[in-house]
Amino acid sequence: MEFDWAEEDLSYRSELQAFLAEELPGRWEGATAVLGSADNAEYSRRFAGLLAEKGWLTPHWPTEWGGTGATPWMLAVLGEELWSRGEPRGPQYMNVNWIGPSIMAHGTVEQCQRYLPPIAAGDVIWCQGFSEPEAGTDLASLQTRAVRDGDDYVVNGSKIWTSYGDIADHCYLLVRTDPRAERHRGISVLLMAMDSPGLVVRPIPGMVGEHSFTELFLTDVRIPVANRLGPENEGWNVVREALSFERVGAPRWARAALVLDETVRGALEQGRSIDPMAVEAVGLAKTACEAARVLCYRVIDERARDLPPSPHANVARVAMVQAERLVADACAAIEGNEIMRYGSDSDLQMRKSLAAGVAAGTYEVQLNLVSRRHLRLPKG
Amino acid sequence: MDFTLNAHQEAVLDAVGTLLSRHAGPARLHGLGGDEPGYDHDLDKRLAEAGFLDIAEPGSICRLDAALVLEAIAGSLASSAAGWRLLVVPTLGVDVDGPVAVVPEGHSGPARFAADADTLVVIGDDHVRLVRPDRGAARIRSRLGWPVGDLNGLPAGGVIHDAPVSEVRSWARVAVATEMVGAMQFALDITVQHVSDRRQFDRAIGSFQAVQHGLAECAVAVEGARWLALEAAFTGSAGTAAAALAQASEASKLIFRRTHQYHGAMGFTREYDLHLATLRLLALRSEAGSLGRPAAACAREHWGI
Ligand SMILES: Cc1cc2nc3c(=O)[nH]c(=O)nc-3n(C[C@H](O)[C@H](O)[C@H](O)COP(=O)(O)OP(=O)(O)OC[C@H]3O[C@@H](n4cnc5c(N)ncnc54)[C@H](O)[C@@H]3O)c2cc1C
Repeated sequence: MEFDWAEEDLSYRSELQAFLAEELPGRWEGATAVLGSADNAEYSRRFAGLLAEKGWLTPHWPTEWGGTGATPWMLAVLGEELWSRGEPRGPQYMNVNWIGPSIMAHGTVEQCQRYLPPIAAGDVIWCQGFSEPEAGTDLASLQTRAVRDGDDYVVNGSKIWTSYGDIADHCYLLVRTDPRAERHRGISVLLMAMDSPGLVVRPIPGMVGEHSFTELFLTDVRIPVANRLGPENEGWNVVREALSFERVGAPRWARAALVLDETVRGALEQGRSIDPMAVEAVGLAKTACEAARVLCYRVIDERARDLPPSPHANVARVAMVQAERLVADACAAIEGNEIMRYGSDSDLQMRKSLAAGVAAGTYEVQLNLVSRRHLRLPKG
Repeated sequence: MDFTLNAHQEAVLDAVGTLLSRHAGPARLHGLGGDEPGYDHDLDKRLAEAGFLDIAEPGSICRLDAALVLEAIAGSLASSAAGWRLLVVPTLGVDVDGPVAVVPEGHSGPARFAADADTLVVIGDDHVRLVRPDRGAARIRSRLGWPVGDLNGLPAGGVIHDAPVSEVRSWARVAVATEMVGAMQFALDITVQHVSDRRQFDRAIGSFQAVQHGLAECAVAVEGARWLALEAAFTGSAGTAAAALAQASEASKLIFRRTHQYHGAMGFTREYDLHLATLRLLALRSEAGSLGRPAAACAREHWGI
């Protein structure tokens, strides 16, 4: 056991920091909207292109697909540096972290050749079509139906809460291909072009940012069978594996820690006093960010050793949500009435912390998994 | 970074584990008086003879092995000041024998080990002193699972010149955090066992989601405290030390309430082991507080506020 950074990771971090100091002095403005608006997406495209030129967009990919064979620790450093600047990759974050790897693992040669280069170049935006009105936490109950018709699937149904649905080029779509099978068995993954006829995208105004997410209505949308990722009816395994590439997901603690730091420094620079209650809240928030950080590192260490996914990832995710929430409390305690000003740190962090426990797997589900897998408590 | 034990660490933990399984543990604590125990001089002697109390290399800022040993000692509910010896004494730059107690400057009132310690380490804002406690420091009746003495003011003198005050304070924080982790894990483990065995409504009470979520949050809190404390012990970082203690203090509140709650009346008995671990947390939290309120200290270490 030891907690030093390896030399190569340290030098990678400083190289990255030098680049970011030039490209992105201060915090990315777009970071104020948790889920990108169209403007932010344009910036993200440009930024991802710059990263791609440096070989830093998909460093962990195999060299065959434009990667540089970076280690999980280097990927973690990249994630930390970018999230602590507001995640300027925007939606492309998903592409490089799990959509691309999932296509690599299960795609045909044609699918890889068609989809991977644009992701590696930072040229493309994907969205994730999982949730449905009746299928949230219980994702396996999804009902969007795909019926084979010659070389196409004909798809009917709807998806909801789809982030970036209005700006995406492609959708990683979960559909039901066998309604009679056991519910985990009849699901398939389709890679859908967002300009497919029969697809209607309706924005859903959200509490965070201007166009938080969208609803997708699919009416007789034809998706070529050639766009199915992995075997028919085995989509559940494909997607589970895809989501476990990341294990802990985005290093949200790094962004929360940045917001906390900026809020504290902002108050100090303006000469505002921070009362003892607020100092207490700041200390608790910083503590939670630190705990989330070290718990995420433990998971990265497992991944660096090629160990199978473990419940430590669930432990880390719970800690990250707690950190987001405590940072929100601390910002509110420091800023006081400023929370009434739209766009203030405390206002934004309050909104983001609400999403943290819901998006990408709820807090309660993570607690269920910690209970069963980590504590091994009995099933109900 | 490496979150697994190396061969040396494994061997050390194996050896100390064997020693502790024979000479410490809840039965031993019951024998020493349970929640009002005497000081376990015998255990200290054995730990010292086996070299565990001097495992920290003087002069090195890395005290990871010492912290690992301390976590094991704390997890076996030892009635010993080994925590101060393992993590604080090596920073003082002077030789100290026998049990020590650590108190803030100007302290008066109860302190763990004050009646048993040969030496008091007094931490001031800008100095550290080593004094012999008045033998008058009386053992007082305390039922929080530690031997407690009552200090009626502190003797003068004994200033250690050039003692690194803030480092001493940081290591005291790591020590308390690590001791909390040991006690918390003990309490959590027996609670998980209990709720898995105890049945009501024809099912294990640990299958109720309310109970599961309560314990899952405890586990996350304890894991956070453990890894922050170990990281702090490795790096010697003041910021991480403060965060470790704040995390442990917060976690200890959850652990205290919830492990008792999920035991029902059973947890209320003196015969059962739970209270031996949980009550200790209250004493540790009070000592954490005398090193500066933990969360505020964390904010101060990071932003000077
Ligand atoms: C900002 C944001 C962005 C999102 N982006 C996308 C996206 O791009 N693509 C996409 O497909 N989806 C997206 N989602 C949707 C997200 O995946 C779902 O919100 C999430 O899976 C929860 O589903 P639900 O909202 O239907 O809540 P529900 O499933 O109805 O849950 C409501 C509450 O009940 C609790 N609950 C449910 N089941 C259990 C249980 N078994 N035990 C204990 N508690 C339980 C939940 O934890 C939660 O607290 C996004 C959501 C948000 C907030």
